[in-house]
Amino acid sequence: MSRCSALLGMVLLLPASPLVAQTVTGVRDLNFGFVVRGVQTTVPPSDPIRSGQFYVRYVIGGRVQLRFTLPTVLNRIGGGATMPIGFRNNDGIARATSPASVPVTFNPNAVTNFRLVTSPDFNVWLGGRVSPSAIQATGSYAGTIVLTCTFF
Amino acid sequence: MRKSSLFSVGLAGIISLAAPGGLRAQSASIQALANVFQPITITGARDLDFGNVFPGVNKTIAVADPTSGRFDLTGQASANVNLTFTLPANLTNGANNLPIGTWTGCHNATNSTAGCTSFTPSGAPTAASFSGAGALFVWVGATVSPAAAQAAGNYTGTVTLSVAYF
Repeated sequence: MSRCSALLGMVLLLPASPLVAQTVTGVRDLNFGFVVRGVQTTVPPSDPIRSGQFYVRYVIGGRVQLRFTLPTVLNRIGGGATMPIGFRNNDGIARATSPASVPVTFNPNAVTNFRLVTSPDFNVWLGGRVSPSAIQATGSYAGTIVLTCTFF
Repeated sequence: MRKSSLFSVGLAGIISLAAPGGLRAQSASIQALANVFQPITITGARDLDFGNVFPGVNKTIAVADPTSGRFDLTGQASANVNLTFTLPANLTNGANNLPIGTWTGCHNATNSTAGCTSFTPSGAPTAASFSGAGALFVWVGATVSPAAAQAAGNYTGTVTLSVAYF
């Protein structure tokens, strides 16, 4: 009796249409490295080492909406200071993994929709800039960038 | 107990799947990271001075000599930097050239050439580190080679040191 109940529960939870895996993964941190007081430092999304990176997988023909939650400041580890961080309207790049795909620049401050045409997965790269003040406290700073994907 | 475990596995699998035409949201995060360092200051503390030289007689100033060139640097405590030089091939006096070369260098976290780290100054970067107090000292020496018919006069050239964190 107990076994029968368990099987019934599984059947009721199955969707009627075919199952498709969806994935959003943080691949690489956006790393500004060493920055100097009073000197704005920019990392372009095309930077192969320092740009942030996410990987998204869904299904060919599917639509994915990207929504970033971006920090306005980085916090000094250990406390005591913050440092402004900003993102411009060309600081996002998305590109499908198929060789024929073309990179698409987008504004990470806005919600952006993509339709998967050439491959079921793509990478998203993110650039930005930090603006340490002339009296910025030295030390390590960090902030969290969240990418929320809605799959249609 | 065994059946319950199987059911849990199945449920978790279903939750992580979506169907086309449905609507699911997922999130992932990365960090934005930066290390704020103090700006680097470089002071040309002492000129590389060959004093009097004579036609046809080479003269070398070693890094430990009192007239070697010296740069004084300040920056982020214990941080690594690259030292890069722009060096003249000649000292000049109007249209006259006095060849200079065979550059030697040494750097130290304290203001002493005793125990300093030798290197060859050039346009290629040389790694060095600031002291725990954020100090670094760099000395340069070289050799001038006056020709037998070298014109008399005062000859000068500029040695430029560029420093960057890495």
